[in-house]
Amino acid sequence: MADQTNAAAPETAAPDMAGLTKRQLKRMKRFDNPWNNPKLIWGITLLMGIIALGIFGRIFWDTDLVFTGAVMPSQAPPGFENLRGQAGLASSPLGTDVAGRDLLALLIVGAPNSLYVGMLASLIGMSLGIFLGFTAGYTGGRIDDVIRVGSDVMITIPPLLILVVVQASFGDITLTMMAILIAAFVWQSPTRLIRAQVLSMRESGYVQMARLSGASNRHIMFREMLPNLVPYLFGSFIANVTTSIVTAVGLEVLGLGPQRVPTLGRVIYDAIDSAALTRDMWWWWGFPTVLLMVMFIGLLLINLGLDEVSNPRLRRL
Amino acid sequence: MSVLDIKNIHIDFPTSKGVVHAVTDVTLSVEKGRRIGFIGESGSGKTTTALAAMRMLANPGFVASGEVHLNSLEGDTNVLHLDEEGMRRVRLRKISYIPQGAMNSLNPVMRIESQIWDAVVAHEGAMEQSALLERSNTALDGVGLDPKVVGRLYPHELSGGMKQRVCIAIGTCLTPDLIIADEPTSALDVITQRHVMQTLREMQEKIGAGLILIGHDMGLMAQSVDDIAVLKKGVLVEFGPVRRIIEGAEHPYTRELISSVPLVGGESFLHAQAAPPKGEKLDVPLLELDGVGKQYGAVTALHPMSFALDGEEPKIISIVGQSGSGKSTMGSLMLGFNDPTTGSVNFKGDDINKMNAAERLEFRKQVQAVFQDPYACFNPFYRVNHALKFPFENFGMQGDVDAAMHEACEAVGLDPSLVLGRYPHQLSGGQRQRLIVARALMLSPKLLIADEPVSMVDASLRATILANIHDLKDKHGISIIYITHDLATAYHVSDYVMVLYHGHVVEAGPPKDVIGDPQHAYTRLLIDSIPWPDLDRDWGDAGDARAALDALAQIGGTPETVYRGDIPGFTLRQG
Repeated sequence: MADQTNAAAPETAAPDMAGLTKRQLKRMKRFDNPWNNPKLIWGITLLMGIIALGIFGRIFWDTDLVFTGAVMPSQAPPGFENLRGQAGLASSPLGTDVAGRDLLALLIVGAPNSLYVGMLASLIGMSLGIFLGFTAGYTGGRIDDVIRVGSDVMITIPPLLILVVVQASFGDITLTMMAILIAAFVWQSPTRLIRAQVLSMRESGYVQMARLSGASNRHIMFREMLPNLVPYLFGSFIANVTTSIVTAVGLEVLGLGPQRVPTLGRVIYDAIDSAALTRDMWWWWGFPTVLLMVMFIGLLLINLGLDEVSNPRLRRL
Repeated sequence: MSVLDIKNIHIDFPTSKGVVHAVTDVTLSVEKGRRIGFIGESGSGKTTTALAAMRMLANPGFVASGEVHLNSLEGDTNVLHLDEEGMRRVRLRKISYIPQGAMNSLNPVMRIESQIWDAVVAHEGAMEQSALLERSNTALDGVGLDPKVVGRLYPHELSGGMKQRVCIAIGTCLTPDLIIADEPTSALDVITQRHVMQTLREMQEKIGAGLILIGHDMGLMAQSVDDIAVLKKGVLVEFGPVRRIIEGAEHPYTRELISSVPLVGGESFLHAQAAPPKGEKLDVPLLELDGVGKQYGAVTALHPMSFALDGEEPKIISIVGQSGSGKSTMGSLMLGFNDPTTGSVNFKGDDINKMNAAERLEFRKQVQAVFQDPYACFNPFYRVNHALKFPFENFGMQGDVDAAMHEACEAVGLDPSLVLGRYPHQLSGGQRQRLIVARALMLSPKLLIADEPVSMVDASLRATILANIHDLKDKHGISIIYITHDLATAYHVSDYVMVLYHGHVVEAGPPKDVIGDPQHAYTRLLIDSIPWPDLDRDWGDAGDARAALDALAQIGGTPETVYRGDIPGFTLRQG
């Protein structure tokens, strides 16, 4: 008969740290804490950079320069010339647009606004998705049918088409209103994802154990199931932020969305509207585009990093 | 002449916790026409060693040093020196592989015969349709499947045993030098297992190939192979002819593996106990099934049956049957996870499906369960304490929860300081299953439903865990319903046995009668199909296995129940 020591023994031979290169050992150390993931850290750094731009910009730069006629119009950044041969001024480090607005001030106000719309829309969409997904997966039956068919139908509707119509009829709207409108189109995929996960988890051993322990439905959903969904939820949230920002910028570039609040999309719309491309005012559309790229690359890296955190098989030595 | 020589092979897996030496310095040869069994527990490196010969190691494993010689290769015989294309030619043609889960190994969108043609064309080039058909017919004929019927079917239309035989047909259709069979029957029940194993042996003898059979069941090894290689933690601890290993094992680990297989009529692995403490005396039965039946759509999982279990004298009632016999359905009906289609399940006189929330909590407290899969039973998000602590607090039990946890762990032979406060993935399957038993003990229910509690635990630990469960009855007065497919353990553990077949009770009574001297044709067949780790007890050949399956098909319909005597405090009837 097997004794106690045998039961406590590891199933395989013990790992051996000898014979590894220094670099491998260094990489291995990283696996001790999965959150110490370079992709994740870089992604968060990039996003923090955008937020820092918004915070420190407001402290060290004058945000009143976003208003028309605040500075000399159509100025290139210092060291460059505009089409009229005027050299850029140090007082407008990123140049100005045709209406005399300072581009740096526009970015300081606009970039966090774009991020805010994306985050808020995704947050609302995720909350809806978690609620509906859990309800559908756990209760099943008729309620499940309604939610499933509803989200399937919503997936097939192109969001931009609806949003263009809605926003065109609304006219000027606030950033929050815009986020809520976009949220109406980002709850479907989290709903489906969570429903599928809940369906498989409902039959799992630990949920059976919890039922056996007399756990209430609420306990099973929120204490047993939800914690295991956290990596999925994070990943889905970040992916939704990306979608929401793309949708928001898309609408703004079409001239829809908030009219009086500077956002990155709005700056690009103005640039296109004033023929910045043909007038060679590259700084006008270039800088907001770079900021959007930084934002998307940051979000992508966070998503990849979270994937590696939740799925150890993706980690390579 | 040897087919394959493995020389001083070391296999390493670089992981995030350091390099794991999965296989250390293994040397052995496979002779032509000889069967070698690789036996060991999960993680012992038995599959890894065999797969190294096919260069199919799971990522990120690699052969750190050593040589693998396939002697039928021309020139350099070391397969580790072959390029990818050369290796592709070797696989299946020289070394074939019969996987564990046949259900996942066949292409679900291709007909069976096309899958055999695929293998032939990949190694012998394109050929006439008629020639291909002839090849697939020969291959299917060899494993006892009708090529005209089975060849045109898709995998989902076949049973598990048939799929595994198709895998054997594919594995032997190119007459390889070596067949590697990785636990080919672990997903099958005993009757089908015997047929598949005999088919594999027959085919292997016909083509004269070497065979490496990977497994953990000493009984199956004894009945199927010529030589046994025992692996433990990547080291070859013992290698020799099957008779010497079984009758005179030198290494203590081998002896432990052999003694861990319980035998019907053999020595019991349980310690004799003083009279168990009595449960409370009730006017109504502790658990009563009244005409309970269950149908899933048109399928009847359980035909109406009734029994009454009296809680005064704790007893272990075994429910034995193959997969699909309705035994697990019975378990979930008794736990109230499923509503019966007909009849009612009564606990202390109350219908468990008509209870309100408070009564239901009380019922849950008194009826606990141990499930089959110890890996799934713990929420990976929490430390293992959660699974023990939560029910204790939820049921409003009195006392110090930490002290109770420590006491329960010690009672099942676990060191609390080693297991408590850990995450489930840090514990072995055996430790986890004992923790679940400890959980049941801590809650001290009146009734425990144990649904295949040891079928996913390594063989050497099965006896220990069953002894733990048996102690629940003997020391703590808990009545137990033990659901299993393993007749030998049911023989030792239980006070009463029911044999289930297609939702019917075919034979019931005390285990010494039902299992020791079976009367019903089905029970006899089950017992004859068990592979015993006893070389003098013949398992029969492929013909016997086939005849047995035919006999099984004749039982069908609504078989009569054979009652083999009663025990006090338990009554059973059909209907």
